[in-house]
Amino acid sequence: MSMKPAFPSMRRRTLLQGIAAIGALQVASPFIIKARADDPIKFGFCDPLTGTYAALGKNEQLGAEYAIDEINAKGGILGRQAQMLVEDSTSGDVGTAVQKTRKLIEKDNCDFILGNVNSAMALALGQTTNELKKLLIVTGGHTDAVTGKDCHWNVFRVCNTTAMETGAIASSLVKNIGKKWYYITADYAFGHTLQSGFENAAGKLGGEKLGADLTPLGTTDFSSYLIKAQAASPDVVIFNLAGDDMVNALKQAVQFGLNSKFALAGAQQELEALEGLPPEARIGSWVVEWYWRQDGVAHLDDFVAGIKKKTGKVPTARTWFGYVAAWTCALAANQEKTLDAIKLAKALEGFKLPPEVALMPNEPTYAAENHQLVGSLFVGEAQASGAVDEDLFKVKEVVAGKNVAPPAGSSGCTLSWPA
Amino acid sequence: MTTLILFNIFNGLIVGAFYALMALGLSLILNLSGVINFAHGGFLALGGYFAYELMRHGFDYWSALLIAPTLVAVLGLVVERLLIRRIYGRDPLYGLLLTFGLAFVLQDATRYFWTAQSVPYQIPGVLASPLSTQFFFLTGYRLFMIAIVAIAVIGLFLILNRTRLGMRIRAGTLDLDTVSALGVNVRLLRNVNFALGIFLAGLAGVLAAGMLGLQPTIGDSLIMPSFVAIIVGGLGSLPGTLLGGLLIGVASGITTVVFPSATEAVMYVMMGLVLLLRPRGLLGEEGRLQ
Repeated sequence: MSMKPAFPSMRRRTLLQGIAAIGALQVASPFIIKARADDPIKFGFCDPLTGTYAALGKNEQLGAEYAIDEINAKGGILGRQAQMLVEDSTSGDVGTAVQKTRKLIEKDNCDFILGNVNSAMALALGQTTNELKKLLIVTGGHTDAVTGKDCHWNVFRVCNTTAMETGAIASSLVKNIGKKWYYITADYAFGHTLQSGFENAAGKLGGEKLGADLTPLGTTDFSSYLIKAQAASPDVVIFNLAGDDMVNALKQAVQFGLNSKFALAGAQQELEALEGLPPEARIGSWVVEWYWRQDGVAHLDDFVAGIKKKTGKVPTARTWFGYVAAWTCALAANQEKTLDAIKLAKALEGFKLPPEVALMPNEPTYAAENHQLVGSLFVGEAQASGAVDEDLFKVKEVVAGKNVAPPAGSSGCTLSWPA
Repeated sequence: MTTLILFNIFNGLIVGAFYALMALGLSLILNLSGVINFAHGGFLALGGYFAYELMRHGFDYWSALLIAPTLVAVLGLVVERLLIRRIYGRDPLYGLLLTFGLAFVLQDATRYFWTAQSVPYQIPGVLASPLSTQFFFLTGYRLFMIAIVAIAVIGLFLILNRTRLGMRIRAGTLDLDTVSALGVNVRLLRNVNFALGIFLAGLAGVLAAGMLGLQPTIGDSLIMPSFVAIIVGGLGSLPGTLLGGLLIGVASGITTVVFPSATEAVMYVMMGLVLLLRPRGLLGEEGRLQ
């Protein structure tokens, strides 16, 4: 059997001449070099746009896009326009998230990567971007390991660690509600570390664990778990859940009237979940990581008005995560006048967000030790409705992140820099 | 412990009845048309969203409960006429691919119109609270759901056993060629049967949205238990589907007491066991599963 050449009409010499000509053009022609300088700086955004975490991922996307618009309006990055390429990581398939991130870096030549809501994906993205030496700003994956034992020189995180979240609310639960706790926990990295954070905090405060159930991600029917929790007669049932799981669990707990038997609480609540609940189910004590109504915070009103104008809705903590993540890259690159990931990572250690990006008290700063952004956490209660539309959370205390962050040297993070 | 198990068995029956409602619609379509409708969850979500929109536009819950599934059924008629009809008689893979794609289209459509975020779906106040403090999981709404499932199941069995349409559907399930040779308009029969199955999906959607968060993915996690219910109960048997739904609901409930993180896995273990020990399913007919 004879093998025909793929391009029978093209001679080898012609092909070689063509390749040489293209090579020469790359070196010789100034207009091509100019075109490269005009190429946009690319952000690769890899977050869940479908599945359980789609609403959260979409709001992170919205915040990042809003930041990109602002960055471009203020002159871009190194004089070039910024552009964001978006990939759906799915809500639960880590393999897909890694594959999309590789594509963003290797095929689309993205300079920065932003994502991911899912903690397991945030960890996987950390490893992938580390291997490919790109800066990753973790928007919303909370598990401690991201800036703990699995930290990397190139990974910075905007949202809080689960230990910070549990530390922010644990003492208030013990003091105001009771010491006997029952956990309903999402069965993956995020839920596990939230529960372990509560258990550690409870240990120090004299709290007691009456029981705990691990629920698969995407659970719809929480009734059997609630039956178990009720049988244990706790003071508080703690929901270590997120996304649609949180909506389903709270809705069912309230329909069962369990809120009159014990308190409902958790270390992380989202405005997205509260908006999806009927008013009677907007209850419980929680931590939110950023809130659109704060007193005396510079530039906050402009941000809220801008997002509202764009979407018709107020920004959530997720919107802020995406916003901060994109601005972090732009600020560092413009300050250092480079896109080199190592130089940018060095510059971000101890980097303080400017007030127009921080939008919260306590001067959010990336800790040099583990690259965790340490700012403020908002402890309070969900409410059916507030003084104005979409005011579904009553902030009772603003906790400084530095007061609940692990003491220096105890995060478990050892940064190893490339030679 | 005994009380806990009894509570969970009873609760499992409630949940299982709901799985059965969705599985019955799937089963109807599968039996007559040979199509495994992966888009069933998408129609379920649409049922919930249509009801949500109707209530936002001044309709009460009770009207929405009837109108929304009917609208979804009409959409089912159109989908069958334009898409599903083209794959009858072909390799089952065509049906799988078509409905799998359709599921994504429906989910993206709901996401486009209503966003990815859950919407606050309210149920009538009269159904919103538990009936007793001790049996707190027996809420008015859950009992109402059981009543609706019972009415739907009885209605479906009456249609299938007492009406000419039902007789033709059952006959078609056994031998469609002969039914066609006897002069029955098989195209119309499949069209109506598909819409009937989709009506049940829409009804399940309206009911589910009152209990769960209404988001575009609401059908995703409900469709797998429904398939499992069909396989456990037996292909071709509607009573089997009902039994399968109830069994997996109870199994999940009991597993929560002893091994909570396996509540979802247990139904697949059950399915595996049934396929190994009695491949046709508990009440299935010999030779349906090949």
